Amino acid sequence: MEIGQYIDTLEDYSLISKDTPLISNLNMLENIALIKEVHELLSIEKAENIAKESLEKIGLSHIGLNRLNQCSSLEVFYVMFIRALMSRDMNVIITTPFFLISNLRDIQPILDNIEILNTHKNIFIFDNITNKSHYEGSSCPIVK
Amino acid sequence: MIAKFIESIGDKTLGTLSSFYEALKFTFICLAHMVTPSSYNPAMRMVLTKQIYFTAVTIIPLFVMMAFIFGSVIIGVVIALATQYNLQDKIGSIIITFVIDEFSPFFTALLISLRSGTAINTEIAVMNVNKELNTLRQYKIDLIDYLFLPRIISGIISITSLSIIFALIMLSSGYVFTLLYMNMDLHTYKTILINAIEVKDLIILLLKSLAFGFATMLIPIYSGLKAGAAYTAIPISVLNGMVKLFIAIFLIEVLSLLIQSL
Repeated sequence: MEIGQYIDTLEDYSLISKDTPLISNLNMLENIALIKEVHELLSIEKAENIAKESLEKIGLSHIGLNRLNQCSSLEVFYVMFIRALMSRDMNVIITTPFFLISNLRDIQPILDNIEILNTHKNIFIFDNITNKSHYEGSSCPIVK
Repeated sequence: MIAKFIESIGDKTLGTLSSFYEALKFTFICLAHMVTPSSYNPAMRMVLTKQIYFTAVTIIPLFVMMAFIFGSVIIGVVIALATQYNLQDKIGSIIITFVIDEFSPFFTALLISLRSGTAINTEIAVMNVNKELNTLRQYKIDLIDYLFLPRIISGIISITSLSIIFALIMLSSGYVFTLLYMNMDLHTYKTILINAIEVKDLIILLLKSLAFGFATMLIPIYSGLKAGAAYTAIPISVLNGMVKLFIAIFLIEVLSLLIQSL
């Protein structure tokens, strides 16, 4: 089964994929804060403070005011991940991170930062079988 | 041959009716969201503020200058023609009807269409092509509440307020011409205008501005939303949107003239 088809069968998840890019006319803080502003009706100030705190945790507070074209693909990925954590869905699905992040060789630093950011959600990484070797020896269990 | 021709006419008619129905449905959905209090969340209010700033505030210097130039020239022409045809006693009502009922809302709508209508059409089409609209859907963010409603409301507020400003500046600049051409003092000019203005004129200005504001934003949004999945679809979407918008503006103008003549 294709990744896309499998994801379509799931419910209650936030998706991080090439089909859910960041909003280009918002900066990184606004992209993250938007979810809380809409779903929890938080004020812009409060929602952006939460976004700022999350970015600080992984040392990316300096990109808060940057737009999409001013960030690297790795930074964009982290912002997409934090945005997914802001939603109420209990599951976060990351699809093909090696496609989303250019020149990514080692998945472990990403997994470490995911661990720092996430406290309670279930994180799933969906990837093609051809990328299996990238995950061998990493801290996450591999399910075929 | 004839059967194919009739078939193609039927096809086109059905297509046109179907897209007209879709557009009408979209309009009613937007109107329903407009009167729903839960649509006005903090994110939406922030977008609304930004939209009003970009649509109404940043244009003010250019707008004031154009209103002043058009005001003195057009009111000058109107007064010159009225004098030529011995209609001096009607100058007040001619100026008021022309400036408040017709020119101000129409010109403001045209200017905002050219400036903000195209921008919004492009923005929505780009977001559509880039799959950013898909992101909003995925994160259960209502497109109408977050993207469309702030733009529509900002269009209504901007065109209404700018029309009023345009009319005021035009009438004020008209005084410059009357002073130079007819040697009319400010008090006389003021009295002529005050005697000529009626509540009906203000209602027409308000209603026309509301209609123009709604159409000026709704049509580009709808057109952007209907853009295809490729970047080449963006200019086509803007082109179609602008043609439809200009037709809508002229239709509103014609409709208002018809209603006024009843």
